[in-house]
Amino acid sequence: MDPPSDHEVVDLRSLDYVSRYDDHLMCPICHCPFIRPIRLQCDHVFCQKCLNTAITSFAGLRDDFTCPSCRTPTKGVYLNVPRLLINMCDDIRVKCPFAAEGCEEVMPRGHVQSHIDKYCSYQLVDCPNDQCGKKTRKMDLHPEKCMHALHPCQHCGEDIMQKDYEEHVQESCPRLETTCPDCQTTVLQTEFQEHVEVCPEMNHPCAASRFGCPVKVTRAELAAHEQECPLVMMGPYLDAQNSRLGSLEATVRHLQQRNEIYEDGLSNIRSTLFESSRGVPERNPNSPQDSLNQDRLPGAPEQPANDQWIDLPNVYTTNANTYLLSLHESLREEVGQLSHAITDLDARASMAIMNECLRIKEDMAHTNAAVSSIRMQVQWLMNPRLHQAQRMAGARNNNNNGNGNANDGDDTATAGPSNAAGPSPGLLRPRRLSDGGREGTKL
Amino acid sequence: MSQKRIAKELAELVESPPEGIKVELADESDLYLWNVYMEGPEGSPFQNGKFLVKLKLPTEYPFKPPAVSFGTKIYHPNVTNDDKGSMCLGMLRPDEWKPSSKIAAVLQFARQLLVEPMPDDAVEGRIAEQYKNDRARYDELAKEWTRKYATA
Repeated sequence: MDPPSDHEVVDLRSLDYVSRYDDHLMCPICHCPFIRPIRLQCDHVFCQKCLNTAITSFAGLRDDFTCPSCRTPTKGVYLNVPRLLINMCDDIRVKCPFAAEGCEEVMPRGHVQSHIDKYCSYQLVDCPNDQCGKKTRKMDLHPEKCMHALHPCQHCGEDIMQKDYEEHVQESCPRLETTCPDCQTTVLQTEFQEHVEVCPEMNHPCAASRFGCPVKVTRAELAAHEQECPLVMMGPYLDAQNSRLGSLEATVRHLQQRNEIYEDGLSNIRSTLFESSRGVPERNPNSPQDSLNQDRLPGAPEQPANDQWIDLPNVYTTNANTYLLSLHESLREEVGQLSHAITDLDARASMAIMNECLRIKEDMAHTNAAVSSIRMQVQWLMNPRLHQAQRMAGARNNNNNGNGNANDGDDTATAGPSNAAGPSPGLLRPRRLSDGGREGTKL
Repeated sequence: MSQKRIAKELAELVESPPEGIKVELADESDLYLWNVYMEGPEGSPFQNGKFLVKLKLPTEYPFKPPAVSFGTKIYHPNVTNDDKGSMCLGMLRPDEWKPSSKIAAVLQFARQLLVEPMPDDAVEGRIAEQYKNDRARYDELAKEWTRKYATA
């Protein structure tokens, strides 16, 4: 698999697979999603390349090569796999092989080759200088100019490749200098952070800035200011006040919550009380005040407390009305639900009954048919015998007229065996006649 | 190709190791030499022992089988009682090896061999005889060796 000279073939195995793929799409040899899969007679599938390597490293004769998975002889038969499998493998998402150079593209594996050949500007190509032998990114490529020649940096003197020169001068050169915005001193960029810590000209806010001191002066003057700033002096006291306020706020919040709980409890108690008073029959709705007083304080003339009760009855009556209304409403709803359920049940039951009836009817029709067919058969079976018996009886009667009834006793004693076509035609005849006739009518 | 597959199997084994098995590279720069720490399986005389198993992968992997050897001395019919500690594993014989076999399977097989030695396939005939004829003594010696060599 030598790459053609004009464009390189991507090694799909070394790609970075982004999405998880089904283990069944994995070649058992290289553990990558199949690349140009080949199927053997035993239905095991491998990459073409893996299979070739397996064949060349196979110890025995080439013709005896066995499946690397199940050791079934391959007999030199190599088959194609369904297009579906190839498509599934080519659809797995991978990162561009030049991700290390900065390409962030993620694409289906099948598109990698065309991405690199046509679109990826991070692709590494040979340096136009034949002597150089290095690679350069496609986007950095200047025709006829080698970007790998070393130039000494004019600041630090380090040899830098031309392709990195710009970045080096602008960002990473250790001799790069910068000016402090406050003190106008020029410092090395690498040491700027340290300078900021100590720069005497930099404006610092007063230590009491969180209490509202607007002063912002240089470090040198700051000490003097903080000596006489009243807010700095009050700082510890203010801090203590703040913390006290904070704890008080927390307590108030806590108390509020408790209060809410108590109010809830109180209203609960009120409604229960009212319900119990409502339980007393024959209350006059026009004078709830009196009745309430009577209900609540039976026999106790608590006149001094009366003014407390003045507005309570009104509250109670409206409460009671709304309560009753809501109760009524919920009951109505329940009734509606129940009637719904009943209709539903009714419909289901009648449906079930109808189904059952139909089935039973059908069964009965079947049974009827069976019974009548049995009747037909029995009749058909009985018919010849009946006819024979009648004929015989006719003959016998003729005979008996001549012989008299001497054999009657014998006949009744031996009646029973059904093979009436027995050898002695003299027996049983009269009896069979009547029996046969009866059975015929019964069925 | 071998490197990619080995790296993949190593990542899988490190991420979700089989029971009682811990895998690492003997040397971070060499993918082909692995150190495997195998706990003696429960119910075997090697219980509570921790055995170093060295795995050497050929450059032709997966077309050639890996070589498994015990770095820790072990009293077992299928492991040579010398400084190499080579292990005889049916699936590791060149004619038995299949490229689709995975290292995880090899390691699990090796651990299973600690539970059930294969005396008919032994490299230490004496231990195999003892395993077959005097199991109690074998268990005793294997436990003693485990205590002596495989507990740190």
